[in-house]
Amino acid sequence: MSFDAVVFAGIGKTFADGTQALNDVSFTVAAGEFCVILGPSGSGKSTLLRTVNGLAVPDAGCIVLSGEALTPITLPRLRRRVAMIYQQFALVNRASVAHNVIAGALPATPTLRAVLGLFGAKDKQKACDLLAAVGLAPEHLTRRVSELSGGQQQRVGIARAFMADPTAILADEPVASLDPRTSRDIMTLLRREARERGATVLCSLHQLDLAMEFADRIVALRNGEAIFNGPPSAFTASVETRIYAVDKARAS
Amino acid sequence: MTGASLAERRAVAGWAFPRWLETRTLVVILLAVGLLIQTGRHVEVDRMVRLTGDALMAAAGLDVDSQVARGVEKIAGSLFPLQVAKRTDISRIEGFDRTELPLLAHIETVAHQVERMNPETLTMEAHTETVEFLVEPVGYLIHVAAKLVETLEIALWGTVIAIVMSAPLAFFSASNLTLNRYTYMIARALVSGLRAVPELVSALFLVMAYGFGPIAGVLALAIYSAGFLGKFFAEDIENSDVKPQEALRAIGANKLKVLCHAILPDVMPQYIAYALYVLDRNVRTATVIGIVGAGGIGQELKGRFDMFNYSHVGTILVAIFVMVFVIDQLAARLRRRYL
Repeated sequence: MSFDAVVFAGIGKTFADGTQALNDVSFTVAAGEFCVILGPSGSGKSTLLRTVNGLAVPDAGCIVLSGEALTPITLPRLRRRVAMIYQQFALVNRASVAHNVIAGALPATPTLRAVLGLFGAKDKQKACDLLAAVGLAPEHLTRRVSELSGGQQQRVGIARAFMADPTAILADEPVASLDPRTSRDIMTLLRREARERGATVLCSLHQLDLAMEFADRIVALRNGEAIFNGPPSAFTASVETRIYAVDKARAS
Repeated sequence: MTGASLAERRAVAGWAFPRWLETRTLVVILLAVGLLIQTGRHVEVDRMVRLTGDALMAAAGLDVDSQVARGVEKIAGSLFPLQVAKRTDISRIEGFDRTELPLLAHIETVAHQVERMNPETLTMEAHTETVEFLVEPVGYLIHVAAKLVETLEIALWGTVIAIVMSAPLAFFSASNLTLNRYTYMIARALVSGLRAVPELVSALFLVMAYGFGPIAGVLALAIYSAGFLGKFFAEDIENSDVKPQEALRAIGANKLKVLCHAILPDVMPQYIAYALYVLDRNVRTATVIGIVGAGGIGQELKGRFDMFNYSHVGTILVAIFVMVFVIDQLAARLRRRYL
């Protein structure tokens, strides 16, 4: 149980085609918090999350994980304790559930053993425990991922994320392709497991109601700028209007 | 009036629905037609149509002189009846044991008159000579079956070696897996190079190197198929789902781990399908490359053809047809069930 604190300091990112995805984003997520990044499509939520595990490299600013700055040198070590959950699940569809979950233990497995598929008994036990914890049944183990429902696939994704004992979890729109009821179940599960297993969560969402219900902290993005940072109780209707206000310059 | 105002409105809005046939498409079609006419003249498509028409009319019973129909008749006449039995001159069998004949076999004695000069009288005298033959009623069928099995074995081993060779080629010639620009270029060049030599041509040279027999056949098939499988497998790897690969890379898994646990499970079913297709194709090709001496049924076919044993050739052709048909059906059924 060693939650990571995540500090974003002046993060900026402009893509090669000239789109400015992030502009001077600064905020701090305390250890153990469940932080929801809220914002409409294209506001930079995914890019912000992806800077934490090096899938996107910021042009400006710095990310600090529990006192250690993210640099090309520290990234290979730090990214091992940062798990990610994806909107489209990012599972190997043709592989079994068991295979997909144990893949989360790959970074810590020696390469030769990993190539031969020889995972330790401890990892196997952990995979089973995690699958049970996320609410799947033993008969799902050998099932192909493509045969599962969307909600079940995301449960597999969550189980995989916890395989490497992460201290921070990036959830990129984890429930965007699920129905409202399943969305709530998945969010509950993610929050509970993260708390029990010691992971700070950064979760991007576009559903305001889910954010209000699950977040300890809400950070609202609009056109790559953080325009709100605070607890759900401070998130007022006027902030909501500002987030979703039609950008005159963009729409025309 | 209404039309004009509609057109005006469209122009104002800046929307124009794409035309059904654009000028560029039309030009391409015209060029293609021109190319077909020009090349058709070179390969005598007009004569082909005329000859085929004559043959069809002759087949329909019309009184037309058809070169093709005569040719077909001649072939059919010499191929049938098919050769089933095997007759061997007993004097040419080493260590022949009369008491233990092969299954179903019997001995046939043929007596014939031979005029031979008597060196003392210098006159031609008639002699009766007897030649004994060992007749095996289905002997030739068994021989052909053995050659077919050899052909299948050549195809199988050609495919197995190709699969083994193609795996590293594919990894290095997939742009998302290769080590650097040079390994990529070398692997790509190898893959194209292997595919550039048709099996029949490489078999011709391999027969010179390894001598007549199945080794040349196996290698000829392996070389071409490795290029084929390498190319398609590499394309599959490049097109495999990137999201699970990214997910594993994001938590710090190295290239080899990503390959084994995100890419391979994704592309494996497709790769197995390609390998089966190549096996299927190699069975057919293995019959052909035997003609240049690379073993199997083709070698038997070529030998019989050169000795004018057309009834044997007929048996071989029918056997090849049956084998290819059976394998086609089997492969289709397997594919339907498992892929």
